[in-house]
Amino acid sequence: MIKVKNLSHSYNKDEKYQVKNINFEVKKGEIFGFLGPSGAGKSTVQNILTGLLQLQEGEAVVADYDIKNISKEMFNKIGMSFEQSNVYSKLTAKENLDFYSKLFDVKTVDSNELLNLVGLEGKENVKAGEFSKGMKHRLTFARSMINEPELWFLDEPTTGLDPSIAADIKEIIKTKNNDGVTIFLTTHNMFIADELCDRVAFIVDGEIKLIDSPENLKLQYGEQLVEVEYIENNETKIKTFSTVFPEDKKALQTVIDQHEIKTMHTKEATLEEIFIKVTGRGLV
Amino acid sequence: MKLFSSFVKELKIASRGFYFYIDIFMAVLILAVFLFVVPDDFENKTDEYLYLDMPEDASEIYLETIQEETIDGKAESVTLEIKDQDKEVELYTTDSKEIFILNSQEDARYMAEEEQEISAVIAMNDEGTFDYTYYLQGYESDKYKNLLEIFHVEPNENVQEFVDNQEVRALSTNVETLSDKESILPTVLVFNGALMGLFIIAAYIFLDKQEGVIKAYAVSPSPVWQYLLSKVGVLMVTTLVSSYLVVIPLMRLQPDYLLMLVLLVTTAFFASSLGLLIASFYSNIMQAFGALYIVMMLMIVPSVAFFIPSWSPAWISFIPSYPMMEGFRSILLGNNDWPYVLTVSGIFLVVGSAIFALSNYRYKKTLIG
Repeated sequence: MIKVKNLSHSYNKDEKYQVKNINFEVKKGEIFGFLGPSGAGKSTVQNILTGLLQLQEGEAVVADYDIKNISKEMFNKIGMSFEQSNVYSKLTAKENLDFYSKLFDVKTVDSNELLNLVGLEGKENVKAGEFSKGMKHRLTFARSMINEPELWFLDEPTTGLDPSIAADIKEIIKTKNNDGVTIFLTTHNMFIADELCDRVAFIVDGEIKLIDSPENLKLQYGEQLVEVEYIENNETKIKTFSTVFPEDKKALQTVIDQHEIKTMHTKEATLEEIFIKVTGRGLV
Repeated sequence: MKLFSSFVKELKIASRGFYFYIDIFMAVLILAVFLFVVPDDFENKTDEYLYLDMPEDASEIYLETIQEETIDGKAESVTLEIKDQDKEVELYTTDSKEIFILNSQEDARYMAEEEQEISAVIAMNDEGTFDYTYYLQGYESDKYKNLLEIFHVEPNENVQEFVDNQEVRALSTNVETLSDKESILPTVLVFNGALMGLFIIAAYIFLDKQEGVIKAYAVSPSPVWQYLLSKVGVLMVTTLVSSYLVVIPLMRLQPDYLLMLVLLVTTAFFASSLGLLIASFYSNIMQAFGALYIVMMLMIVPSVAFFIPSWSPAWISFIPSYPMMEGFRSILLGNNDWPYVLTVSGIFLVVGSAIFALSNYRYKKTLIG
């Protein structure tokens, strides 16, 4: 669905590249996470792929359209949810969606249906300017689905939302993906990426450091550990055992046999820990 | 369809914002001022303050001469405040001036010194002729002073005969003119229509940039020119509403309103395209203000030539507001000079289209800038 080859971009059109020699592919039906700290080049790549920035060097094909000679028809196939909500504050929620739906040449989703989906039912006739930040974000998110896109660009879709709404948004993303929608997710939130993405790319200083599935990364870079909380001589103790080394496995068995176990968790490395390990950089 | 829905959306946004109402409010305010404050023709009579220092019978003869020139052949008694006192004086009103007959030489000096009025003392000397004393302000030209010096000299017989035999022929006797009040309307139409449009469309663009909605538009299949044209359309509607609001009550059936529609639409198109182009170079209205200010000031310059025809250098006719004003004057006169108005409209349409095309190219490149 997306093919990027040797993509480089410099805002000042000089040798100081914000994005350097990027290569990746996103398969149809996949959720591809583009992960990195602020200023890593995530938005630059996304803006090039959505035509908001002109392609300078390299090649990019999005939904079978060559980004070098971008066609307006491409936008019938893609949806874009921005990190910063950008809706007409003087129009109501419904007017915002109704206007946007008329810009497309393909069948669009009923605006009331979308508003219900993102939990804005009953707010159809309220001006977006009166919305809270979270509500505006949900309206922006809803707008990106109006043309039932085949390829959906999501920029920090849950940032600034309260946990229950963020959970609803994640559910919508999963459902759409199950319906066959390809998703390009840009985020610095590793938990979201871990939960949603089939594959992730780590980008730092404009370069992709690694691309793989979260499971593979955990297997490759994470240590397989079990943390046990147990009672010994009327005292609560916590110990961590490797599930790989034989002596640790034996010691774990002994604890299980001889003591009362309070809690026991497998403790695998988080995506964030792997990111730091691989790139040597934090995510903020 | 996309263009129409964009246009409807822009109209909704405009009607919910304050720029639209500023334009309409200004039109209503201008109409109110024109209807209730501005006279049809401005007062161009001069005031003269005279003291007649002569015997009563001589002054009566002098006043009879003045009275013959008055509009109604009468003098009226009016009160003037002189040295903090109310004084009764006689007022003679002629076609070109109002003559106040004062009661003393001191009053004449007072009017000149304290009220900066033209005053004079006309005294009869021992030989029975008149002596004239003028109190001037100091800024009068030499030509004016010379004129006063020869004003009371009896004309030479030959000169009088020569003047009487002069033949004066008017080259055109059917010249239509607007009243003083109506003469201001073309500038009002240009400033309240085209120039406000230039500024307001830039403000609309910067509002969209600030809200980020321009990015959302950029990732839709709708072309940029439709986004821009829908904004131009709103400015055209605003210009038409505010212009007709002022012109119809004042001019009634005299102008050719269809011709006016053509000129309003084309000038609004030209000015708003220019506003779009200027806005394309800046990120916010504060940055663009300098450029907008310079263009607006430049557009105001031709109004000087419009009101002072003796100062009308050739280069001024190249400033767009000049042909706009001339076009509106022609329409308001109702003289059916449609070839001129259509030519001007055509030029604005062509130049406006070129600027719009350039703006479209700029916005396609820098839509999210």
